[in-house]
Amino acid sequence: MKRFLSITRDPIDEAGLVANRTLSSGMGAAVYFSGVVRGQEGAEAIAALDYSCFVPMAEHQFHRLFDRLAERGSVESVRLVHRIGRVAVGESSLWIEVVSAHRAEAFGACQWVIDEMKQVVPIWKSPVTAAEASTSLNPNPTS
Amino acid sequence: MTIPVTFWSYFAELAGCSETVVTVSASSTIDELLAALYQAHPALAELRRSTLIAVGVEYQDGEYVLKPGDHVSLFPPVQGG
Repeated sequence: MKRFLSITRDPIDEAGLVANRTLSSGMGAAVYFSGVVRGQEGAEAIAALDYSCFVPMAEHQFHRLFDRLAERGSVESVRLVHRIGRVAVGESSLWIEVVSAHRAEAFGACQWVIDEMKQVVPIWKSPVTAAEASTSLNPNPTS
Repeated sequence: MTIPVTFWSYFAELAGCSETVVTVSASSTIDELLAALYQAHPALAELRRSTLIAVGVEYQDGEYVLKPGDHVSLFPPVQGG
């Protein structure tokens, strides 16, 4: 199973990722999901989320999930990009794509990786209000 | 032996630092390290039930026996996505 992982402070180039998709002739499903920062966190209006990450462990835990995904034998590739640092409302914080022969496997695998990520990958987010965003133009949260 | 401990996310604010070093006797467990740590950082003790523990890049539980060179990380439940 092919895999690509990026934990990055840069905006996620969804169009570029889609344009660079590769799949073999036996593959009939490419499912991708983009997680976008909402304008509310609970009842509070926010301007952004600050994502912090224990990067070496996050990479390790992501690859363990990909290893488990590979054991299924039905997924040809998985690509995942997770942003860290400040992500404004309306921007994507997570992008994941799964390629497999059939849609059920692709949808299921995509959902599974996200669900498992939320249990084991050490990434945290903290809300940023509009006032906080305007007073900290150069955020540098814990890497 | 001395064991470096890193606090992630808001645990660093609760601890008042992002890293510390805890001195424990040889073959101590993580639970024993935590007992010493919570004396110095009582705000963290209140969250012990939800605290996640890693040694290096692997999750461990309180019964893990520490070795020289281990690096412990403590953090709250993860929130990726």
